[in-house]
Amino acid sequence: MKKLMAILMLALVWNAAAFAAGTQYQMRVDGLACPYCAYGIEKKLKKIKGVDKIDVDLNKGLVTVNVAEGVELTEPQMVKLFKDAGFTYRSMTRRPL
Amino acid sequence: MQRIILRVLGGITALLLGLVVVTWLIWIPSAKEPGYVFVAAWGERGSAPGQFNDPTGITVYGGEVFVSDARNARIQVFDFDGRFKRQFGTKGDGPGQLGRPMNLTVAGDELYVADYWNDRVQVFALDGTPRRHIGKAGEGPGEFNAPGGVVVSAKGDLYVADFYGQRIQHLRADGGFIKQWGNTGKVGIWAGEFNYPTDVALAPDGTLYVADGYNDRIQVFGPDGKFLRKWGGPFGMNIFGPFNGWFTTVTSIDIGPQGNVFVADFYNNRVQKFTANGVFLSAFGGKGREAGQFDKPIAVAVANDGTVFVADYGNNRIQKWRPKEK
Repeated sequence: MKKLMAILMLALVWNAAAFAAGTQYQMRVDGLACPYCAYGIEKKLKKIKGVDKIDVDLNKGLVTVNVAEGVELTEPQMVKLFKDAGFTYRSMTRRPL
Repeated sequence: MQRIILRVLGGITALLLGLVVVTWLIWIPSAKEPGYVFVAAWGERGSAPGQFNDPTGITVYGGEVFVSDARNARIQVFDFDGRFKRQFGTKGDGPGQLGRPMNLTVAGDELYVADYWNDRVQVFALDGTPRRHIGKAGEGPGEFNAPGGVVVSAKGDLYVADFYGQRIQHLRADGGFIKQWGNTGKVGIWAGEFNYPTDVALAPDGTLYVADGYNDRIQVFGPDGKFLRKWGGPFGMNIFGPFNGWFTTVTSIDIGPQGNVFVADFYNNRVQKFTANGVFLSAFGGKGREAGQFDKPIAVAVANDGTVFVADYGNNRIQKWRPKEK
């Protein structure tokens, strides 16, 4: 019983730590062409409060964004952001950091 | 019946072949001069002096090469042999700080930096002392939405490629608005319209050349502001490709000492050279990491002696080329 409690506590602490560490979003985008595109997207994303780290992979058409705890990026928000930046948003995945 | 079908098919094939030949002759010109030879390269990825993290702009003046080192948010200065001399600029949006510095120009002993993230043109003394900045974020007259390149006329007027603004702005030295080409915020492919313009260059007579980035073409405007010509693929209308005289994303433009036009042809991994009227002269480069190869050349600058310097974006280095002897 003690062992079970210890495992449960550990899992709880681990989950809390993971939640506190924020979320990583990966977005697939069409039309990424050059650094002007990458910088344009970074410029728009960094204006969102809580965005910590942005990585734009031009070759794969992949934008990776780490956000702080409690910050959420929504699909409609990203569709608009990428449209304003001149690109087409395709999909998004998320995972806890 | 079979004979008729064969004849029709033969006719169509001959017509298509004819079209290919005509297209080739009209729109794929051959080189008209010997071209360029690779001289030297310097730099690698990093943040130490002489290293780069996204070199995005280049200009030459007084025996020095100025380079926008975008992700390091600084300008680095070298001599013509690649020896590091000095650097200036830090990350931020305060005076003298840089977001993403892009194409550069020197005028009147001052360096003008298109500051893409900070939506302004920053002006430095050549020793790196910040002097002033021009413009702010916005889509109004004299405001910018990610400026990519700037050039300055003999009387001090500025011409700025406003990338997301989809326009070229002509401003007084103090930033006062004079006029613009293009429809603010609207992409267009017709003459006088733009599709993410990246850079500008001025001939001594005041003729303005625009690197019309994603339209894959150059547009030219006379000293009176009137549209003169465009080139890049068939009809200069957003048709990209790898052939001579075609482009796949143009990111920088400069005028050489003889009045010729040099263009960084980003995705074709080469620099192309044209007469002032857009006649293709030669090209150099090719994709790769070896000497004389590029991984997406993003900016080009020509010295008074004809030496060409190229910011080799993907390889995080600068390359130096000289004209081949005839």
